[in-house]
Amino acid sequence: MPHQLETRVLLEGAEDPRLATLQGYKDIVGGYATLERAYKEMEQDEVLKALEDSGLRGRGGAGFSMGKKASFLPRGDMPKYLCCNADESEPGAFKDRELMQRNPHQLVEGIAIAALASGAGHAFIFIRGEYDSQADVLDAAVAEAYGAGYLGKDILGTGRDLELVVHRGAGAYICGEETALLDALEGKRGNPRLKPPFPAVQGLYGGPTLINNVETLSNVPRIVAKGAEWFRQYGTEQSPGTKVVSISGGVRRPGNYEISLGLPTRDLIYDLAGGPLPGRRVKAIYPGGSSSPVLTAAEAMDLPYSFEAMAGAGSMLGSGSVIVADDTVSIPHMALRTARFYHHESCGKCAPCREGTNWTVKMLERVVRGEATPMDLDIISSVQENIMGNCLCVLGDSMAMPVSAMVRKFRGEFEQVMAEAAEGIDPHVVVDAPAETLGAAT
Amino acid sequence: MSPEKREVTLTIDGREVTATEGEMLHDAAREGDVEIPVFCYEPKLGAPVGACRMCLVEIEGIPKLQTSCSTPVRDGMVVHTRTEQVKTAQNAVIEFLLVNHPLDCPVCDKGGECPLQDNTMGWGPGKSRVIDEKRHFEKPIELSPLVAIDRERCILCYRCVRFSQEVSEDSQLQLLDRGDRTYVGTFDDRPYVSPFQGNITDICPVGALTNYTYRFRARPWDIEQAGSVCTLCPSQCNVSFTVRDEKVKRVITRDNEDVDDGWICDKGRYGFEMFNAAERVTEPRTKGGGKVSYEDAIAKAASGLKARLGKVAAIVGDASNEEGFLIQEILRQGLHSSSIDSRPAGGPGIDTILELANPARQAKVADIDDADAILVLGTDPMGSSPILDLRIRKAIRRNGARLVVATERPTALDGGAEAIARYAPGQASYFVGALAAAVGGGVENIATPVAETLREAGKVVVVWGERIGASATNELLGLADALNVSTTEGAGLLEIPETANARGLREAGVLPDAGPGLGALALQGRGTEEIRQALIDGDLDGVILVGVDPLRDFGDTAAWTKALDAASFVVAFSTFATATAGKADVLFPLETHAEKDGTVTHPDGRLQRVRPAAGRPGDIRPGWQTLANLSLALGHDTGVTSQPTAFAALTNAVPFYASITDEAIGGRGIRWQDTASASSLPGFERQPEQHDPTASDRPGLKDEADPSGGEIHAPGADATASAPDAGAGSPDTQRERASGESVPVAGAPATLALGTYRDIWSGPITELNPPLKFLKPTQHLELSPADAHRLGLASGDKVRVTQGDHSLEATALIKERTPEGVCFLAEAITGANANGLLNGHQVRVQIEKLAEVTA
Repeated sequence: MPHQLETRVLLEGAEDPRLATLQGYKDIVGGYATLERAYKEMEQDEVLKALEDSGLRGRGGAGFSMGKKASFLPRGDMPKYLCCNADESEPGAFKDRELMQRNPHQLVEGIAIAALASGAGHAFIFIRGEYDSQADVLDAAVAEAYGAGYLGKDILGTGRDLELVVHRGAGAYICGEETALLDALEGKRGNPRLKPPFPAVQGLYGGPTLINNVETLSNVPRIVAKGAEWFRQYGTEQSPGTKVVSISGGVRRPGNYEISLGLPTRDLIYDLAGGPLPGRRVKAIYPGGSSSPVLTAAEAMDLPYSFEAMAGAGSMLGSGSVIVADDTVSIPHMALRTARFYHHESCGKCAPCREGTNWTVKMLERVVRGEATPMDLDIISSVQENIMGNCLCVLGDSMAMPVSAMVRKFRGEFEQVMAEAAEGIDPHVVVDAPAETLGAAT
Repeated sequence: MSPEKREVTLTIDGREVTATEGEMLHDAAREGDVEIPVFCYEPKLGAPVGACRMCLVEIEGIPKLQTSCSTPVRDGMVVHTRTEQVKTAQNAVIEFLLVNHPLDCPVCDKGGECPLQDNTMGWGPGKSRVIDEKRHFEKPIELSPLVAIDRERCILCYRCVRFSQEVSEDSQLQLLDRGDRTYVGTFDDRPYVSPFQGNITDICPVGALTNYTYRFRARPWDIEQAGSVCTLCPSQCNVSFTVRDEKVKRVITRDNEDVDDGWICDKGRYGFEMFNAAERVTEPRTKGGGKVSYEDAIAKAASGLKARLGKVAAIVGDASNEEGFLIQEILRQGLHSSSIDSRPAGGPGIDTILELANPARQAKVADIDDADAILVLGTDPMGSSPILDLRIRKAIRRNGARLVVATERPTALDGGAEAIARYAPGQASYFVGALAAAVGGGVENIATPVAETLREAGKVVVVWGERIGASATNELLGLADALNVSTTEGAGLLEIPETANARGLREAGVLPDAGPGLGALALQGRGTEEIRQALIDGDLDGVILVGVDPLRDFGDTAAWTKALDAASFVVAFSTFATATAGKADVLFPLETHAEKDGTVTHPDGRLQRVRPAAGRPGDIRPGWQTLANLSLALGHDTGVTSQPTAFAALTNAVPFYASITDEAIGGRGIRWQDTASASSLPGFERQPEQHDPTASDRPGLKDEADPSGGEIHAPGADATASAPDAGAGSPDTQRERASGESVPVAGAPATLALGTYRDIWSGPITELNPPLKFLKPTQHLELSPADAHRLGLASGDKVRVTQGDHSLEATALIKERTPEGVCFLAEAITGANANGLLNGHQVRVQIEKLAEVTA
């Protein structure tokens, strides 16, 4: 049974495995009724308006208004595309995985309706290569939807068409960046593109393209079915709706919890996730995945879990993935592990990210080996400053933001680890582990 | 580039700058005298990538710094490039780039001319905070036999990779691995093979890509740069010679977008060691190889020629305009002969040349960029004018030009063509006529698919090869009119001639039927092939050969040998000791384009100046001097005493060059069509005459002056004779006919129609330049899979190819796109020269598989 603090909307009926089938989706949550109504009765602008009025913000990390993004696509007769970003690779994030596995048809229906809103005739789900079984689930769901006439040519006899393809990525974090995703989908090396032009104007194969996260698109059927007012009853003024939050790290019950946005962070961590393990206390959290600046427990606990509150505290809600570090976690080691992940995943296209991640890793390795001085901490901070805002895409910032926050907020601990390691107090520090074993927290 | 782009005004560092709408901020700033440092940005490579982040600037109203290389200017934009925020970012980028850079400047060839050094000094933090170990790669290693790669120095700016992918379109260079482990390489570490690969060493902003021909040869403070023009092919690319101790050590680009777009081919880049080859002719010689003084040589030549007054001919190839002018003075004024030509196989009459020279019909190189459609006719630019291959690719890729190719042999551009027509060797004239008729809406014929693309297009640029022959060249006028090129701005014809300065020589009067300035002559002389025949027949007795090697480069080697043996007096001017030079009674050395001082004329009419860069080896004197002295010895004073007086004599004699001065030519050249004297072209004031493309025969064309053109009725050549309604060029027809006539005697070897071509790497370029020796071509018999099957041949089989009494050995090479019934051999291949099989007519060859020689 869901916890009383949960608000299950996207995960409604998720405990029933039949939900993953077309019949189950129809029986349990009345699935595809919205698609049918939208395709048969609604015009593009009507759907678009419902999405814009709902205030639904992108659930992939940037939190940009989904309806507004869809409205940026130019009108007119040209090939347009919709890409569902299912390349969920951020350490700490595993909510799309569950949404796709338990309720794939919700996503398919959402994509079909969003395609209507954006005028796209072709849609793609770009799913990370490691999500193999989830991709199988999606493949089956897409096949069922084609069979039932919800996809393909002349959908439900309305004369409207939509092709949907599930594309498996080859396993690179950078392909979750929307323009790198497009390049990878086109068969090229997955490197971010220069923006502008933005994908809404010139995206996949040069055509206008709408790119949204799995969770964002999964919200679409209910918003169109029940209206913006219904949606806005959940969440806050600036963060309407519910959010599936992935909680991992030092808590008793890690997992996905769907909450109404604005729930106090303390409730999220202590009630839903059960709080820290016995005898431990929370030291810091990443409030929105490994790329969000860490907050100390004191900073975080009294904040409502919403886009605006996290931004106000100098961090971000991101993809809604909370990683909890308890008092046994060495922050300098956590910083090193974070930096290593981004160093490993940097595509190498732009200089600040390519060299900055590499240099930061080398400096942090010296810190935990005891071969650094406090001056190196200043250099680490300055290098993070030099990365931020100067890169081609946000990958560089994704390392710089948390690392810089850790050095700033836990400087004493960095100096202590440095000094202790130099004196050989902690001989068990492992810094030469192969890169493959580092990285993704999932 | 379109004229409707409006101007915008913006402010950069407090200065008001005017720029064209859509222009990138970096370029606008440069025009406003504000320097913004860059590494990856290079407009020649196409769209910016924004990878290096060096060009970040502050734009009011935008919170984050923006890359100026990828930000188009807007009216009223306020930009700052020197604020603290920008400086911090610039320092940061330099620091990042140096994190993994080895800083081995003292032993790096780039040191002293390195953008990374310059930007580090100009925009870097001035001190390093990096104490960590840098990444390591094996270095240097061979990216190709010509280019070394040092991956530790590489700053991953993407330039070389973009060149490979977006300019030469070979896509061999790739970025492999990712993050700071990224490196530039090729699939499976195969060598990078491309005739343009040297360009990556020019655009590399660090010492990561270096030429093996230049590594450790000189430091920037040892060298001088000398701008000149490469005359190894008609592209006439602008180059800069790196000279140390009077010797050329390197050839690099000297951007001129009107000529070469800032690229050069590897022939021009690496073909400089031959300047000092042992095979160079370095002093005048007499027959038997004896060295003589210039004075004696000139006296001997003059007396030999004077004794044959009126019976001397001249054939000119590699020569400057001034040299061409002087040689025709010698012939016409000194020796009372008009038998002079500059074309390997003769060519059209002066009427056609004048019609084609009409500025209204002329396309310039830059017109290719904006063309709606491009027709490549009868030539493969990759072999005949490589830089145009890149230019045409660029037009397709960046501006969506539509390409159609109509040639005998498959070309390197076929992949980008919308329509391709293959006509049988020798059928160019018929094909061009058919194409003109098809464009004009005539009945459907072999050329219709090609014509359809051209008919719909507005601006059509026709890039055509001189090799199509005189008769087809006459037909071109009809095609030009059907395409309305003379009334369409930006449309026109652009010739790729057989020799580098063909246009200049013709305009200087090196033609049998026209003097300097293309003025028609009352006394008409013989063309190249008539000269050959007249020498054999004894109607001519002496010949002057300037920069030509008929025994290698001209068709019908046997006839040329006979002709040169029949001539009782041969004066040759030659750069290298060739077989032809060996026939000379008096042999004079020629300068290379690194040594010469003179002008040349690009096929689009641009006069360019070749400037002396290197010292002349041995006892070589300037060509103008030798020729002027020879003329004087023959009793004709040309008044030429220096290069400037030679140039003045030329411009005085060629009315449409009259207003061109050395200053006007400058470093970029000037098209005579763009000067006031253009109207002095004979017939200029006439509107281009409209030619009826459907008329089969037109008056005024001198087919009889042209033995290679006209209808072809060689014995046994019926299979490829014109048959306007049957589509002689269609492979099916050819196959049927070829098989129908291939069995006059049971068991006789099959015959195929022979086409020949000039390979980019044939000749002295690969024989006399050690670094290019690995590219020396061997003879391959290209044929279609069907013919190969019928003849029982596989690729790699050794074959004997026979025509009449002549034969050569080749290796069979099955090429998918070769039409059936036709085979191709390369010209000028030492030991197996296809010119030896030609006889002035369309020939068919017998092919016989040679038994494997068991070891």
